[in-house]
Amino acid sequence: MRLSPQRRGVTAVALLASLGMVLSGCSGGGGGGTNDLTAPGAEVLEGLDEAVRVEFWHSMDATNGQVLNGLIEDFNAQNEGRIEVTGSFQGDYDEALASHRAAIQQGETAEISQIYDLGTQFMIDSGQTVPAQSFVDADGYDTGAIEPALLNYFTVEEELRSFPFNNSTPLMYINRDAFEEAGLDPDSPPTDLAGIREAAEALTVRDDDGTVVQYGFGAAVYGWFVEQFMARAGAPYCDSANGRSGRATEVLFDDPKVVELVEWWGDMIDDELAVQIGRNTDDGQAAFTSGRAAMTLESTGALGGFIEQSDFEVGAGYFPLVAADDPGGSIIGGASLWINGEGHTDEEVRASWEFVQYLLTPEAQSVWHAGTGYLAVNTEGYDGPEASARAEEFPQFAVAANQLADSEIDENTAGCMMGVMSEARVAAEEGWETALTSDTPADEAMANAAEGVRTPITEYNESVAE
Amino acid sequence: MTATSTTPVPASPGGGTPAPERPARRRHRHGPGHVLGRVLLYSLLAVCLVPVLFPVYYVFAGAVMEPRELSTFPPRLLPTGVDTGNILGALDAVPLARMYTNSLVTAGIITFCQLASSALAAYAFVFLRFRGSAVVFALFLSTLMIPGEATFIPNYLTLSEWGLSDSYAGLVLPFLAYAFGTFLLRQSFRQFPRELYDAARMDGMGHLRFLWTVLLPLSRPALSAVGVYVFITSWNMYFWPLIITRSTEMQTLQIGLNSLKTGEAANPGLLLAGAALSVIPTLALVVLGQRFIVRGLTAGAVK
Amino acid sequence: MAWAFLAPSMAVFALFLAYPLGRTVYLSLHGNDIIGRPNRFVGLSHFAEMASPEFAGVLLTTLLFTLGVVVPGVVGALVVVLLLEGVVRGQRFLRGAFALPFAFSVASASVIFSVFYSPGNSVLNGILYRLGLAEVPWLTSQEMALWSVCITTVWMNLGYGVLVLAAGIGSIPREVNEAARIDGATGVRLAWNVTVPMLGPQLFFLIVISTINALQSFGQIHILTRGGPVGSTSTLVYSVFEEAFAYGTSDFGRASAQALVLLVVVLVCTAVQFGVIERKVHYA
Repeated sequence: MRLSPQRRGVTAVALLASLGMVLSGCSGGGGGGTNDLTAPGAEVLEGLDEAVRVEFWHSMDATNGQVLNGLIEDFNAQNEGRIEVTGSFQGDYDEALASHRAAIQQGETAEISQIYDLGTQFMIDSGQTVPAQSFVDADGYDTGAIEPALLNYFTVEEELRSFPFNNSTPLMYINRDAFEEAGLDPDSPPTDLAGIREAAEALTVRDDDGTVVQYGFGAAVYGWFVEQFMARAGAPYCDSANGRSGRATEVLFDDPKVVELVEWWGDMIDDELAVQIGRNTDDGQAAFTSGRAAMTLESTGALGGFIEQSDFEVGAGYFPLVAADDPGGSIIGGASLWINGEGHTDEEVRASWEFVQYLLTPEAQSVWHAGTGYLAVNTEGYDGPEASARAEEFPQFAVAANQLADSEIDENTAGCMMGVMSEARVAAEEGWETALTSDTPADEAMANAAEGVRTPITEYNESVAE
Repeated sequence: MTATSTTPVPASPGGGTPAPERPARRRHRHGPGHVLGRVLLYSLLAVCLVPVLFPVYYVFAGAVMEPRELSTFPPRLLPTGVDTGNILGALDAVPLARMYTNSLVTAGIITFCQLASSALAAYAFVFLRFRGSAVVFALFLSTLMIPGEATFIPNYLTLSEWGLSDSYAGLVLPFLAYAFGTFLLRQSFRQFPRELYDAARMDGMGHLRFLWTVLLPLSRPALSAVGVYVFITSWNMYFWPLIITRSTEMQTLQIGLNSLKTGEAANPGLLLAGAALSVIPTLALVVLGQRFIVRGLTAGAVK
Repeated sequence: MAWAFLAPSMAVFALFLAYPLGRTVYLSLHGNDIIGRPNRFVGLSHFAEMASPEFAGVLLTTLLFTLGVVVPGVVGALVVVLLLEGVVRGQRFLRGAFALPFAFSVASASVIFSVFYSPGNSVLNGILYRLGLAEVPWLTSQEMALWSVCITTVWMNLGYGVLVLAAGIGSIPREVNEAARIDGATGVRLAWNVTVPMLGPQLFFLIVISTINALQSFGQIHILTRGGPVGSTSTLVYSVFEEAFAYGTSDFGRASAQALVLLVVVLVCTAVQFGVIERKVHYA
């Protein structure tokens, strides 16, 4: 149901293409598009006088940016005289979204925009892009090798809306040396909250004065983790089946599972088994690499830095469950690629799709995964030479892919689709932090936080409904 | 609100003349309580000085520590040796050289243009009598009361609409004129003898030529005071460059430091190395040109 | 002729001060569509919303932050400058040492203090630990975080205060001190009865500037706490930033309404202090 089955046959394609058109027309609230926003066929690139120029706005800098530029160069070399892609770094995810917004106002969007997961619903509502499904259907593109958990996230109302590209999932990292010193087995790290607490009791080390020099656990108060814990508990983050069957009208992170998590977290800190970290993830990383915290939660992307900066052996395990009998599942984070149709010629749209197809090849994904640490979107990419070399160097990496492979694929693990998702994430962090830093009980703090998102949701839904 | 009454800068009357250097105290009483007083005085100074200097010390110490010396608990206070890992790492993580250039270009353009626009306006107020000049001058002064933060949102929107976000133009445009410079230069110009001005005009000297060849050279103290103040404030700008730039190629040094912190490779060593590299020029300025800065800043602070 | 000379300045003021003020008012009265375009008139509802505990908290934080920066900053600079007055040799050198933090921009100072405070591995807590003292939750406690940001700001601004007040002391006529000494005033009494009153204008000036700077402080909050934990360090400027530019929300309407409140606060402070300055200067 969630995966778009491969469809062949001209009639089916045409039918679906027009269906895609209708759907995108319906959901296009803000844009008021004149284009039909469907995928043009390959023929539009035939007999060109000059190369089609494709501008690609992204948020990849430093190492990630270099790897991406390498891929762009490679693609341009393969398509010389036909397609010329130019990458343009647009700042971090929030900034890139802001510049995309500004570009919509000017009617000057790039051909391809990389937008983070939280902006997915906004991208749908702004009605500027050609739905990914339209390309898939028009070409009969085989999505079979694409990581199902990723397709699940970016599929809304049974339509793939954008192409996953740079994605990750959080893991639990452990200090293997500390585990061994504490007499714990580093090869089977704890898998649920109770297990973490038990391990933390063994891992917490005090000096002669009773001051803790090594905590068992420590991680940032990061809203993404709430989303992850809920997905693993099989609980929806927002109503209307995580916003997938209709507009979400409220967030549900005051769920007993989350309250249990927040209470557990507070108890860990109160009992000096966990070091208190604020909302900055770099502080959580510092706590782990400095040996202050023997277990932490972080994105797959942090692994390379962890190994480089710590003078102990780093291990990785699945992201924990709240309770041992939770179904387990995993949602993803990161960004996806959107092909803008509004204001762009068929040639540009088609050329963009050609480039995206290239990025999704096993060859490109092997380079991408090995160079950046992001998941290989195309799972065949893991078998590529670069990815294999990396797997040899960091065997811990297999954990991430396995965690996703083991994940249930349903609406709960798809993650919440909502226009004000980033505000919701901040609200979840605030509720969580309120419980940790004041006398407010966890259930009340989370309920207040969830209640606080109601107005932004209503306002957003009203503003796209007109 | 007359001009003189808004010049409470006792150190630099007229916004220009250097503060008189304080002569070292020559006479001191020597009494029995005196030695005790000295000891107390120096201990108090030391108590104050340690927290003031510790961050200055640690930014450089941390910059040359091995990354792992910082990521142990408790973090080391003395480096065991000089390691370039953090510095190279910081240079690798963000293009600091490029960001230096951006900061220099931005602060340079803003300083130059503010001096130019201020000099022209001040000239008009002092030498070109025109109807309503008092009202216009009051309007100029009133712009000083508007905090930049209140105009950033529309300015951001305007410049984005003009396609100038993430460009040098976007970085500098809102700051090309500032009434404070006009105000100080006006003070300075007013000291110029009117008869000399009339004589020069009688000789057929044009306004611009007079301004450029006679007036400005004579106003150098005021110009440098304004210039230093403007340069340092624009070098240190944070909010505006944060919102108007996106790409690392256009970010200023200050924003680059924040990128270092939020970047994937963030670690304390990189942060300290980046901060150390960024602070070297201004530190040199403070150490070597303190008198100059005092003049510029105390003048600058009148606003 | 005169207008030609005024044109460059006036053009900048018109485009980037006057027009934006008008546009801020316009934006503050409108709601946004999801692209960030004003698309509906909402009257004063953005202002009415400010009658909330959250916004009262923002104002209170702004007030506490301003006090927490201005009072210790000015008193600290004064104490340092007075202590330096007692130093015979190396006074300039010591003054230079105290002025060093002035070289640090808000970003560099904040980045350094973020390492000092890092809840993950705090340098300051490391020192406390070595001294056998309890750790401080610098940035992770709602009660402490604001003061941690204040400490950073005071450290950054101390050099400036020292320079301003030292310049003021330098301009005190020598005869005043001589006369006081002849009357037998030394040490603390000399400082309190003679030097401090003579520094009146500089002190006042420093208070004004520190207040205005504190009201506009942004970088240290953005880098150190992002307004947290739970909004406990969210000042007015930070709140404006958050509504308009953080989290990809682009709520320019609400942000503009808050920016206008900021404008009024700064205007009132400036006007009050300008008035007092005038009196002070005539008095001096």
